[in-house]
Amino acid sequence: MTAAAAPGPPAGWANLGMDIVSAGRVRAMIDEHGEVFLLRMLTERELADCHTVDGLDILAVCGRIAAKEAAFKTLRVADSILPWLDIEVRRAPGGWPLIELHGRAEALAARAGISGITVSISHDVDYAVAVGAPVPVA
Amino acid sequence: MPANLQPVKDWILSRHPERTDIAPDLDLIENRLIDSLSFVEFVFLLEQASGRKIDMTALEVDHLRTLAVIEERFFTAAVR
Repeated sequence: MTAAAAPGPPAGWANLGMDIVSAGRVRAMIDEHGEVFLLRMLTERELADCHTVDGLDILAVCGRIAAKEAAFKTLRVADSILPWLDIEVRRAPGGWPLIELHGRAEALAARAGISGITVSISHDVDYAVAVGAPVPVA
Repeated sequence: MPANLQPVKDWILSRHPERTDIAPDLDLIENRLIDSLSFVEFVFLLEQASGRKIDMTALEVDHLRTLAVIEERFFTAAVR
């Protein structure tokens, strides 16, 4: 049996998730549907966190979208829709992102046998990327 | 195909100019005609075209896998 055919990774392995989001695509989405459309993917406090004195920081939006996608990928859930508003990206006092799981996302994480998800976000010019890793149950 | 499903098909085609048509049974997900980011926008469009609010928490990928399934689920069947 190959590793890919095994039901799950060996103990100690992390199911990483990664995602990339184009600022151009998000900008086009906002242009077409308005900023309020983002509330289908971001919670109100996430959207508030993306605002600076200069207005909406598109790359911050992209980073949060990428982080949610990356976090969801760590759960290895087939044929399920990303529960956008149940995976919330918060900012730690140090500036790094923290993932808070609610509702269905929390239940999926419990089913996957993990206690949480950690992510890292980066962006440059017109793209944001994020990688996520599960936090094992202590 | 119901007339109000046509804008949905047109929306997908507009994002994939290399295509001229989409077969009713073509897997939209496997063929990457809808990706995770466009999924949210796609559901929004479906709501507008069908006149029905779609409960994202009850939605599964299979509900949106082909135009035939979308037609049956959102444009001809009773709300589930």
